[in-house]
Amino acid sequence: MRVPAVVRLVARNFAATLDPITLLVMFGQPAFLIVILGTMFNQLIPSVGASGSYVAFLVPGMIASQMITGAVLAGRIFWLDRRWAMVEQIFSGPFLRAEYLAALLLTALLFSLVGVGLMVLVALPLIGVTALSASEILVVLGTIALGSLFFGGLLIAIGGRIRSANLYFTIQSFLQYFLIFISTVYYPVTSSTPLVLRGIVYSNPLTYAANTVRDAFTHSFGPSDLIAAGVLSCLAVVSFGLAVLSFRSLELGPVQ
Amino acid sequence: MRTDRLGFAYTPERFAVRDLSFSLRRGEVFGLLGRNGAGKTTTVRLLTTLLPPTEGSGLLFGKDLKSCGRAERARMGVVLQSESLDFVTVERNLTLYAFLWGVPRELAKSRAEEMLELFELEPVRHRKPWSLSGGERRRFQVARELMHEMELLFLDEPTVGLDALTRKRILDYLAGRAKQGLTIVFTTHILQEADQLCDRIGVLQAGRLRAVGPPGEIKRRYRGPRSVEAEFERALTDEERRELLDRLRVGGEGFELLSATGGLLLFRARNAEDLVGGVVRWAHARSVELARLSVRETSLEEAFVTLVSEDPASGPETKEELA
Repeated sequence: MRVPAVVRLVARNFAATLDPITLLVMFGQPAFLIVILGTMFNQLIPSVGASGSYVAFLVPGMIASQMITGAVLAGRIFWLDRRWAMVEQIFSGPFLRAEYLAALLLTALLFSLVGVGLMVLVALPLIGVTALSASEILVVLGTIALGSLFFGGLLIAIGGRIRSANLYFTIQSFLQYFLIFISTVYYPVTSSTPLVLRGIVYSNPLTYAANTVRDAFTHSFGPSDLIAAGVLSCLAVVSFGLAVLSFRSLELGPVQ
Repeated sequence: MRTDRLGFAYTPERFAVRDLSFSLRRGEVFGLLGRNGAGKTTTVRLLTTLLPPTEGSGLLFGKDLKSCGRAERARMGVVLQSESLDFVTVERNLTLYAFLWGVPRELAKSRAEEMLELFELEPVRHRKPWSLSGGERRRFQVARELMHEMELLFLDEPTVGLDALTRKRILDYLAGRAKQGLTIVFTTHILQEADQLCDRIGVLQAGRLRAVGPPGEIKRRYRGPRSVEAEFERALTDEERRELLDRLRVGGEGFELLSATGGLLLFRARNAEDLVGGVVRWAHARSVELARLSVRETSLEEAFVTLVSEDPASGPETKEELA
């Protein structure tokens, strides 16, 4: 039986681009933050809202941030494929551009989900077992999927238009770090948060994802999560559309 | 494959290639020659469906080039000019590429062994491609493309950076595959290898196909001045040499005397046959014995230089293929 083209491309994405160092950096860093940042700040911060301890607050945020990790990986694969002419090579083979794009997004999603699993494992000794209902698990996975699609699509769309490695990786670093810092991944936004900062944080899609995952962990879904799902869905569709447009007009040939 | 006035233009005023009309026959080796920027790579991209044509039409495996997709691409292989590689070892690159093409695992493993040996990549099989030398990387790229089955193979400058021995080995292998029915289109700047390997060649100049035909015909049609060596049994006197040259000039043969040493005269003549006739007639009339009279054949490189030195604005030399 012949393996479908998208599955072959996803398998190739994992096999060709994942080396131990990359895995260590991409997953080790958030795991390190959960253990060190969580433990250290736990001493300073007695409790954070419904989450209770700071580490229990941080873990759902770090889980949500895995959508960025997956997206960054997909963007990196795409950029390296362009840099090393593998995009051109693959397009000259029995694949459609749509399949390559789908494989990239699927890679982002799978990588994010692997990250989610790892973060849960790392957090177990710190926060214990959090029993989520089936619907809460589905919401968490759905949120991660939408977020991966949004950020993955966005990075791919950008990667398809930029011909300079410096610029591309600057934008990627910005997304990876800046967006995480101006979200509710590390800290809550309350009524005492300065209005400007609050505005910036709520214009960041990662905030909605982090809040939804956190609500799942505290079993406190509310109307805001429905709004978050709607916002993420719309953004994911827009971002996917941008990625498709970028692919349709993708200029093949060397990039620097 | 057949193309009819196929072309690609970035804008209506700026075209990369235009009026490409030629066909490929099963099992033939077709060489695409041209100076840097003549449009060879763009032509390969057009023919491999990487670029959509903006003018003209083409048939690939009997299907309109514009609507060709996965099924047609699955029947061909492409070795691009730009280096393409994955960040795994040479051996893994080969098997991974075979996996992408749906080659069964066992077959991929045995074919990888075959390619590693054939392309002398055995010693570097566990190294990452970017750590290889330029020649090794080129060999790796050709080897990787041969991991899957195909009917049509495009090679964009496959022998760049290869030493003569490796080049010969690869060309011999490709010639063998062509004999088994594989159709090969390749671009090169090494005209000697095009002359050896190609059944037909097409010469591109400024984005237009100036000539298509067998190398012999291209050489015959576009041969420039050729070298003629006349060696007499004895040294000619100054008077005899002057007389011979006067006779040849009167005969109207356009030539240039490059050197004259004793009985050996070296000419460069646009019409070598007429010059040879003139020399023979003079030698016969003066009863001077000719020891040797030879005309050096035009190389493909010389014919190529003649062809691409012509004014490109004059358009395609001929719409008909040379016989």
